[in-house]
Amino acid sequence: MLTRIYEQVKPILDSFLAGLIGLAMGAIIMAIWGYAPLDAYDALFTAIFGSFYGFSSTLARATPLILTGLTFAIGVRGGIFNIGAEGQVFMGALAAISVSLLSLPSGIHVLVAIIAGAMAGAIWSLPPSFLKITRGVHEVISTIMLNWVALYFGMYAVVEWLGDPQRAEKSISAATTSRLPIMVSGTSLTYALFVSLAFSLLIFFLLWRTTLGFELRVVGQNPAAANYAGIKENYSINSTFILGGLAAGVAGALQIIGHPPTYALYSDLSTVRNLGFDGIGVALIGRNHPIGVIFAAVFFAGLNVGARTMQITAGVPLEMVRIIQGVIIIALAAPELIELTNQLLPAVRNWINEVKTS
Amino acid sequence: MFKFDSIFTRFIALSLVIGLVSFGITVVSSVGINASAQEKKKIAVVTDVGGRGDLSFNDMGFKGADEAAEEFGVELQVAQPASEADYLPNVRTLARTGDYEVIIGVGFLLTDAIETAAKQFPDQNFALIDAVVDQPNVLNFVFKEQESSALVGALAAMTAAHYDYSKVGIVLGIEIPPLWKFEAGYRFGIKWGLDYYEKVTGEKANVDLLWTYTGTFSDVAKGKSSANAQISQGAGLIYNVAGPLGLGILEAVKDNLNQRGKESGPPFMIGVDANQDYMGNGNKVLASGMKRIDRASYIAVKRAVEGNFKGGTEVLGLDDQGVGLSRYSLLVDFMQFGLKGDQIKEENIETIKENWLEMREEIPQFIWTGVNELENLIVSGNVTPPVPSTEEEMKDVRKEYP
Repeated sequence: MLTRIYEQVKPILDSFLAGLIGLAMGAIIMAIWGYAPLDAYDALFTAIFGSFYGFSSTLARATPLILTGLTFAIGVRGGIFNIGAEGQVFMGALAAISVSLLSLPSGIHVLVAIIAGAMAGAIWSLPPSFLKITRGVHEVISTIMLNWVALYFGMYAVVEWLGDPQRAEKSISAATTSRLPIMVSGTSLTYALFVSLAFSLLIFFLLWRTTLGFELRVVGQNPAAANYAGIKENYSINSTFILGGLAAGVAGALQIIGHPPTYALYSDLSTVRNLGFDGIGVALIGRNHPIGVIFAAVFFAGLNVGARTMQITAGVPLEMVRIIQGVIIIALAAPELIELTNQLLPAVRNWINEVKTS
Repeated sequence: MFKFDSIFTRFIALSLVIGLVSFGITVVSSVGINASAQEKKKIAVVTDVGGRGDLSFNDMGFKGADEAAEEFGVELQVAQPASEADYLPNVRTLARTGDYEVIIGVGFLLTDAIETAAKQFPDQNFALIDAVVDQPNVLNFVFKEQESSALVGALAAMTAAHYDYSKVGIVLGIEIPPLWKFEAGYRFGIKWGLDYYEKVTGEKANVDLLWTYTGTFSDVAKGKSSANAQISQGAGLIYNVAGPLGLGILEAVKDNLNQRGKESGPPFMIGVDANQDYMGNGNKVLASGMKRIDRASYIAVKRAVEGNFKGGTEVLGLDDQGVGLSRYSLLVDFMQFGLKGDQIKEENIETIKENWLEMREEIPQFIWTGVNELENLIVSGNVTPPVPSTEEEMKDVRKEYP
């Protein structure tokens, strides 16, 4: 009985301890450079929990992170190391802007924009899937490379095709009919949050309540066993990629139609950059579980929102704030990271050997 | 069962603990803050993604606010974004405190953020530099770039004539209405400069304009290739109206000088917005058509502190030093930025100063007198460079000043 309770509590303790270690390390770094750690952490936590405004801002920031976190989490569950969310987000965002050129009634327009974003993200996940299934190209390589292709394609598209004729620095804004309404006035929180949450629950249901999800997880945990049981491995891998792409594509679309005040992309795509990579951190902190990802995204977003107040009220410069964030995130992700490395190392070794021998 | 329960409870527990800890810290520290009542007034500068150290817009915006803060004894707070998604939250977070006399948005990238925040916080003063937002609590600053461009054009035309070059060039970014002001002013200045040259020397100089819209504000290589093309067609000076593409223009100038075994121009580049004269060791950028972001942020702070802040739009021109030709004192200021940004080394500063002074002394005095005369004429309102606002008007300007 006692060991059962311990097993339940141990992960909580792990994360809690990891968080404390991260905070302590951050405090030491700040103290070394002559900033006041207590003031800074005070600013950080009051920013997240201290006001309704702060919490709304946190949720607004968490909205896309939930989805990009899902992309990575689904990948790990299905046995792939998918870091293509970044590029898929760009494609989703571009698609959402493109369809805003259509004129449609408002409800339908929102739906069309989200679906277009999801489709674009999914389509962008197909090349790495295809390369993996047919040629055995490792997805880490192909997704990283395709992220760059998407980035420069996006920049080109924003300047050449979707540029705002009056404002050289940004694309045209999403049509007013395709925008999601603001939920709490005076904040950036829109109904995009519910789209994100709904998607997360859908994935949860899919992974644990359907045959497809079951097969996907079996392939992820033990491809040999899956093969023995007659599960089509390639089909499952492809589904994993597509599901991830859908999530990231929706994230990109939401950053356009649910992101005031511009509802547009800047020519360097900076409003959608790093969401995919942050998603990896979110997934790791959330232990690659669709529900865990939601909470992890909120925490991650809180750090982002707190960065502002650490800068403004505690006088810690942005660069230092980001170092502190990095330390905390690494510490929190460490438990899952260790587990994942243990799982992944043999696979990578096999792959390297295969490449060497072939 | 699946792991839902354990993860769920774990996060609840974690957030509870964090919440409690933060609550504790808040209570402790708020007691501390209340004990020391704050009297000093505060102002805030919100930069764009370039942030501090960009040696241009943001550094200048900071410089003006910093000088004003010192002069009027107020506290300056800078909010720097990690990405463009941070603009509005940064402005809002500052505005929500209600502690700031004025919140200054540096650069047109902050337009949407300032507009949204201004509507939400009608009692907060905002200033926006280089763009216009129509709100009663926003003071906008825009610049008469056509005036600085006219000075630069006159200088370029006369210098080209003096060195027997048949062309002057201008390399621009994407063709958007704000850039027409530069082009029109430059064209106007060239004509004026050539007339003045003829009046003084008695000989008619034939200097034509080469102009290129590169369609980019970021592709440095295009700056170089455009400048190379213009130099090979005989351009002696090239005005950079494309931000970072200036680095490419400077490269083209350097290549040409190297081929001929020379150190100092011509050909020269002409800088834009910031003081870029120190680039290329102080003898390759003859002058810069400056936009004084620092003046704007200084004025915003001054008005806010003195209590006569009012929304509206200020158009800063030559008359109030909002734009102008680069001078020695500004060169020294900007070299300090360059030093901090690791663009130049401490030991080179003296060389750059000497090179710069030598370069400017090479240009005959009557040319500088001419440029000063044009400045006086513009300030007194006797001469007005054209300001095209539509494509038609720009076409007319191009016909009138070919």
